[in-house]
Amino acid sequence: MSDDTIYDFDAIVVGSGISGGWAAKELTEKGLKVLVLERGRPLQHGSGYLGEHAPDWKLPFQGKKPRQLYQDEYPMANKVYAFSEANRHFWMNEKENPYVVDDKDPFMWIRANVEGGRSLLWGRQTYRWSEQDFRANAEDGHGIPWPVEYRDIAPWYSHVEKFIGVNGKAEGLPQLPDSEFQKPMPWFALEETIQQRLKKKAPDITLTNGRVAVLTEDLPGRAACHYCGPCHRGCSTGSYFSSQSSTLPAARATGNLTLKTNSLVERLEYNPVTGRISRVHAIDTVSGEHLTYSARIFFLCASTVGSTQLLMNSVSEQFPAGLANSSGVLGHYLMDHTLGISGTGVFLDNMDSYYFGNRPTGLYIPRFRNLEGQDEDADFLRGYGFQTFTLRMDWQVGMNAKGFGADLKDDLRKPGPWIFVLSGFTECLPRESNRMYLSDKVDRYGMPQVAFDMQWSENEVKLRDDAAKQADRILKAAGAALIIGDEEGMSLPGEGIHEMGTARMGDDPAQSVLNKYNQAHDVPNLFVTDGSFMTSSSCVNPSLTYMAFTARACDHAVKQMAEGYI
Amino acid sequence: MNRREFLQCTALLISGASASQLGFSLSQEQEVYLAAAANYNGGDVDYFTGAQRKIIAAMAEVIIPRTDTPGAIDAGVPRYIELMAADWMNDQEREIFQAGLEDMKTRIPGQYGKPFDQLEQETQLGIMEEMEEAASDSPWYDFVNTQRQFISDAPFICQVKELTVWGFFTSEVGAKQVLRFNPMPGRFDGNFPLARDESTWAGHIL
Repeated sequence: MSDDTIYDFDAIVVGSGISGGWAAKELTEKGLKVLVLERGRPLQHGSGYLGEHAPDWKLPFQGKKPRQLYQDEYPMANKVYAFSEANRHFWMNEKENPYVVDDKDPFMWIRANVEGGRSLLWGRQTYRWSEQDFRANAEDGHGIPWPVEYRDIAPWYSHVEKFIGVNGKAEGLPQLPDSEFQKPMPWFALEETIQQRLKKKAPDITLTNGRVAVLTEDLPGRAACHYCGPCHRGCSTGSYFSSQSSTLPAARATGNLTLKTNSLVERLEYNPVTGRISRVHAIDTVSGEHLTYSARIFFLCASTVGSTQLLMNSVSEQFPAGLANSSGVLGHYLMDHTLGISGTGVFLDNMDSYYFGNRPTGLYIPRFRNLEGQDEDADFLRGYGFQTFTLRMDWQVGMNAKGFGADLKDDLRKPGPWIFVLSGFTECLPRESNRMYLSDKVDRYGMPQVAFDMQWSENEVKLRDDAAKQADRILKAAGAALIIGDEEGMSLPGEGIHEMGTARMGDDPAQSVLNKYNQAHDVPNLFVTDGSFMTSSSCVNPSLTYMAFTARACDHAVKQMAEGYI
Repeated sequence: MNRREFLQCTALLISGASASQLGFSLSQEQEVYLAAAANYNGGDVDYFTGAQRKIIAAMAEVIIPRTDTPGAIDAGVPRYIELMAADWMNDQEREIFQAGLEDMKTRIPGQYGKPFDQLEQETQLGIMEEMEEAASDSPWYDFVNTQRQFISDAPFICQVKELTVWGFFTSEVGAKQVLRFNPMPGRFDGNFPLARDESTWAGHIL
């Protein structure tokens, strides 16, 4: 037995994305020596953003996709709006790093492969969960009850929001609690027009600012947004929240951070004598060298699927079905939000009004269904919200018009009508049959490849159908000249890139992997704080909730260390 | 090395890489800032014959002519089309494209007594309108077919139109002199006056 009182580090954090960056910041600021292990390549803030501010004429093919390459090496990622030649170096090469895709029921697993992870690529939408969200499971009996209430997490939401910088408008809605806001971004004239009409014709609908982690006021080391447009290419002014712009610099400033990139953690080693994790086994993806690092506590922040994959791959005599999996629920209750265009309205209002600058968010319509018990006309549980976006048609919409010459040129160069789009994000019920597991195929590092078994339930289909119906009502009330309905079908599981669950938290160790502090019931020095802890999904974008729970878990861990418990 | 220094000494300009392979594009091995790269439509290419090059230039100029603002030739569209035909199209598209170009080369002088590029613009326009009429059933013309798709069996005339319109409005000349270009707005105003004849902003292709 090794001497477990001498450690390489106080804490090891696996992953440097949204959750891992937060764990690194909180733990180092509390005085711990922290090692962050990131499987992706190094990517420096600013100098790593190779496509930032590149105009179209500098892009390969002036922005047309290299289709064969994308199909061969990025078959899933290239379907994401944010993927392009301007930031392809942020993304995981799926040919080199495959997972098992079921031809009939594919799961879209979207991954980054750089320091900072998907914090560079996220949509920056930032919403608090409500009291109702945390009570939903207990009330309707799907999944297990959350071990946490809104009031437990509210102060941690505030703690996170003040640091990341969220702009938005306070509305006082119980179903979407207000955050600590910077001043909201302005609206398009058309959005003001729509707002006035909805107040009269659809008063149950609230149209508010998209709440986004993009600065409208400077923070230390970060400048307010300059409205250039495509955030997902990286932002050297740090105007949107990413690990690079925010948490990693804060962690580095303590002098307590060691960050190793190209370091793939393959398993955690459990010590049956102490009942603790003693160290991690990692592979240097450049040299192929196998390395081990020891620490007192371990935070898994490798993304929902990545962390659960790591637990499943860490088997021992005590945990033959995966580390910390005495409950047997590890890998199950996988969730994602369905998303899709519920309705598109073409508007001929405010035609002489245009815009200056590119606002990096649309507006938001918070959940309005099943708020006070079940709505009479609702044959589904829970609800959905709409992210909206407003755009003015330009040559890209009319590029296949008939005709030639000066008239065509003149038509294409001038703005067309306005478009206002409602994109529904629906809650997904936790179901045991939706799961990830390790297949018998291995990747180039010898790690078992992940496979998925996930289908939407009838409830998700009904939610989406209702979203389409309500979008039509809203667009009519808003005065659309033409409405195009939902013609897309259900999004693929995973396509929402809000995959969560698989290591859920709960009070009952027989039914959950983690306790209410994201601490493994079975292994007290193991914490999992990315999306895998989620016990239900709400309908709002989840990243803020991961950050708040991560910060709270760090606080708890350090207190327990001080008490000598871990 | 900081970013500014990097920008100042981009020895590895992206267009300096081989433009003939599909994999040609940004990668971590080429630590290159796209914003400092050479314009795509200035790249080297030698895919068309001299006669083909003239036909394509003339067709592009019929689609987007020089008016009081620059046209397709001014904006480098013919070279863009040649680069895309050489490096970007798939085999099926390239076959249709080459057959269409060959048809223009052989059929037009027979019917009109001169190569396409030497005909009056009115005659050129008439020829292309006929081609469009014959192609009008193609799904390429569907309303929903916007920039994310390229329809591989679209007829030659559609290919030329798509590459001309795209190549023009995403070019430096098209974006700055025909559209309006502001890479660093610094603020957002959602109610900014639009005069009757003003152009759209040149957007970013994601």
